[in-house]
Amino acid sequence: MIYLDCAATSLQKPREVPYAVSHAMTTMASPGRGCHKPAMMAADCVLNCRIMLASYFNVSEPENVIFTLNATHGLNIAINSLVSENDKVVISGYEHNSVTRPLKALNADVLIARSRLFDQKATVEAFRQALPGAKCAVCTHVSNAFGFILPIREIAELCRDLQVPLIIDASQSAGTLPLDFSKLGAQFIAMPGHKGLLGPQGTGVLLCGGKSKPLIFGGTGSNSAENLMPDFLPDRLEAGTHNVAGVAGLMQGVKFIMSKPEGAIFRHEKSLCRAFAEKIYTIPGLKLFFDETMKSQSGVLSIMSERLSSDVIAERLGKADICVRAGLHCTPTAHETVGTIEEGTVRFSFSPFNTFSEIDYTASTLKNVLNKL
Amino acid sequence: MLHYLLMCRSLTYAQRASRALERIGITAIITKAPKSATGQGCSYCVKVSEKNLTRSIATLNTAGLGPTRIFLVLDDGSVQEVS
Repeated sequence: MIYLDCAATSLQKPREVPYAVSHAMTTMASPGRGCHKPAMMAADCVLNCRIMLASYFNVSEPENVIFTLNATHGLNIAINSLVSENDKVVISGYEHNSVTRPLKALNADVLIARSRLFDQKATVEAFRQALPGAKCAVCTHVSNAFGFILPIREIAELCRDLQVPLIIDASQSAGTLPLDFSKLGAQFIAMPGHKGLLGPQGTGVLLCGGKSKPLIFGGTGSNSAENLMPDFLPDRLEAGTHNVAGVAGLMQGVKFIMSKPEGAIFRHEKSLCRAFAEKIYTIPGLKLFFDETMKSQSGVLSIMSERLSSDVIAERLGKADICVRAGLHCTPTAHETVGTIEEGTVRFSFSPFNTFSEIDYTASTLKNVLNKL
Repeated sequence: MLHYLLMCRSLTYAQRASRALERIGITAIITKAPKSATGQGCSYCVKVSEKNLTRSIATLNTAGLGPTRIFLVLDDGSVQEVS
């Protein structure tokens, strides 16, 4: 099997990840629920992972690293902390439903700063025009559908200048691209644990830089006599039992990433993406969403064909044991921006574990799928 | 030997406080704080011996992990706040 759907979930993990999950499940209990050995082992595991993440993302205090179920959970906390009904919120033209749906539910006044695909300058300009008067801005670092790397440093700078709190969705960049929480000065950065960070499903991380509002209320193992949630992090945002096994696995994923030279994973994924694009761009009737300079594209490539629908291409590749995703990828906003809303695209997303021989095989299989018509 | 409980804001703080003290050779055991000491239900603290009290407080204050309150553990296991 060739797995090229890492923008949804990375399937191949370092071998230490499942081992750590299993070890945690059989030896650890819950942090903050006693001082016995299994509870304290769990507490140590969770704190160690917090400290590691704080170091990796340059967060000043480990308490500001919050464990969530996934990026969507973190984005919901962030958006609910900052946005009220009718507030003007600026978002990029590449946001996922995990941003647009919570904003819709809050009945926020959403202004989309649309810009052409792979055009970073135009993206900065769109934000510059849209930001004045905004209560908050939300921006993805990398488009999950097209791999477009948005100019997040410049957007963060604009937000800081205008004192507009910024929420960054790092779902497609965490573990792959550098993310310096302190330098960016964002209010929140949300990310999943199960994609680029190579952890298990059901894990996510929210980096908090300011005031936050709990989304879930309940037991924290602290201030139990009080009827209100604690006013300190991480307890304020972590009601209920932690996914300790997931956190243990996540820590091993992050450890693996930190053991690699800086930028190595990104360079590998990008090389795979470019190699794949070069092999398939001559296929008749195929449209590639590809930045030829590769300056603003990560290891995600979307394509569409004039001859076969995206769903059918993905299905036929699936029959050849090549796993890709077709459709709108939960981001109608991005497809509206790019003009692919009717058909969607077929998305190929690469991981540190994919090889060039897998790319060769996928390219030749894709040619066969499209030539059989 | 007398012991003191250094109250922490949360378990995470207690863990960090314990690690900061262990790093300089002070034994600091994380324990659940007695309810009589907190009045807030579940809380955590680190337990240190009398000889290490002053150095512990100084170290924790420097690390931004200063205790919220300090209690002396009496012979019968009850606690008494110290100023």
